[in-house]
Amino acid sequence: MIDIHLLERRWIKYKIKRLIPYVVAILGIGAGLITLLYSVNQNDVTPPPPIKQEIPLVKITPKPDIAEEVIAIVPPPTLQQPRAVAAPIAVARPTPAETSVAWKPKALPSPKENIPVPLSIPKNTPLVAVSATFSTPVVVPPNSQNKPISIKQNSTTFDIHEIEDRFKNNSNPHLGLYIARYHYDNGNYSEAYNYALKTNAINNTLEESWLIFAKSLVKLGRTEQAKKTLQLYISQSNSEGAKSLLNNLTKEDEK
Amino acid sequence: MDHSLFSKPRDLFLDIVNPRDYVQIDSVSHMYQNLKASVQKPLKMILLYGKPGTGKSMLLHKLHHDLSKHQKVFMIDIPIIDEGDFLRVLAQKIYGYVNREAITLTDFLELSTAVNYPQSPIVLLDEAQLYSALLMEKIRLISDARALKFVITLHKTEDEDIIAKEHFQTRIWESIELQNASCEELKIYIQKKLLKANCFDVANMFNEKNIKLISKLTKGNYRETNKLLFSLFSLYTWYEKNTPSKIKYNALKPKYIEMAGIQTGLLRD
Repeated sequence: MIDIHLLERRWIKYKIKRLIPYVVAILGIGAGLITLLYSVNQNDVTPPPPIKQEIPLVKITPKPDIAEEVIAIVPPPTLQQPRAVAAPIAVARPTPAETSVAWKPKALPSPKENIPVPLSIPKNTPLVAVSATFSTPVVVPPNSQNKPISIKQNSTTFDIHEIEDRFKNNSNPHLGLYIARYHYDNGNYSEAYNYALKTNAINNTLEESWLIFAKSLVKLGRTEQAKKTLQLYISQSNSEGAKSLLNNLTKEDEK
Repeated sequence: MDHSLFSKPRDLFLDIVNPRDYVQIDSVSHMYQNLKASVQKPLKMILLYGKPGTGKSMLLHKLHHDLSKHQKVFMIDIPIIDEGDFLRVLAQKIYGYVNREAITLTDFLELSTAVNYPQSPIVLLDEAQLYSALLMEKIRLISDARALKFVITLHKTEDEDIIAKEHFQTRIWESIELQNASCEELKIYIQKKLLKANCFDVANMFNEKNIKLISKLTKGNYRETNKLLFSLFSLYTWYEKNTPSKIKYNALKPKYIEMAGIQTGLLRD
């Protein structure tokens, strides 16, 4: 006589025994995959995208037509101040020779002197960036050393999304500028516009960011808005690049 | 009275060798025709060998069943180990010589010359690996004297190659090896057996997956297949009686096949 209940229990035991190797194998594969993914992530994090940043020598010049209270607190026109910029990642330091020649570190203006300079915004300008206030005096790079902040990407396997994430985390304006430039170069003008806008909101002294912002607007068909933005920026910074771009836009309009 | 749908199929797979249950499968049928042809030749000994459960005994019984209609055939399916008894039983069954005492080989050969048959009587020996070498030597002498023709079956095991032994090597004139059934052959075997007994509904329950599982468990061994299916239909009989809702009549449940495998020792839990 067959004891069915005992046989069913034995069958369950048999099935469990039979499944154990599969479960172990699946767990092993899962653990292996997790380890692999983890190590891949680690590798991605450990060597950050090698961005070489050249620190420009900047000259703080007063703006002749700036508001009176601004003039009062802006350092004298001859004052040259190096502007140390916090790099988000590996920074290519200047060579000793460059440092000895160009760098004469002086104390930055005290925080009390950093009175925000509000930009007057036309009412029909819907830009957020324009409404941002300048928290530092307008910085104009000298013509002779008009080297824009450049971030050079050496790796071909870099991921723009990773840099975007980093920018979200640390709000470094140089990263923002880099991303804006990247998108502009790749024809993604709305993204370039957005990142330039964000960058300007964080740091409104980066000329290239303003230029990318304006050029993106032009590419997006909002030339008038680009012109107004450039005019505003020129009024604050006397940027030659901005002037040149504005002239070009005006000439094109006249044509 | 058992009215279960599965009781009849269950009894079909009882491990009993009955030539009427012989199921004709292509390869086995071919072997059988070879065997029958060999028996008609003036050979002394014919060897039928293979692994246990490959159908040697069934084939021998079938041969006995078919040949006994035309000529003198005697089958010894349970080996008679004692030499005197062996010869005495042969003398009685073949020549009708009744003697309570054991007889010698010389007596037996004299007896064989005294009785003439139009065709040499055939002796079918099952499980010949159980006979001693001495007795096998005497069997050889009897066949050499053309007193009798022997068809013997042997288990071919992994451990010992009996066929390699001298008395088989030198005396066997024809040997036929039986193999385990392939998956397809096993399917035909099961289906034919069920259909022969008019178990159409149950025969229809076997699908390819079921057959593959059965073949995997039994490795094509007919005896193991019989045991497994007997156990399987015993389970079905129980379920049909106690929990009929668990039975699906369109296919066999692999679970029940595996349970039958555990029950018969083909699977270890």
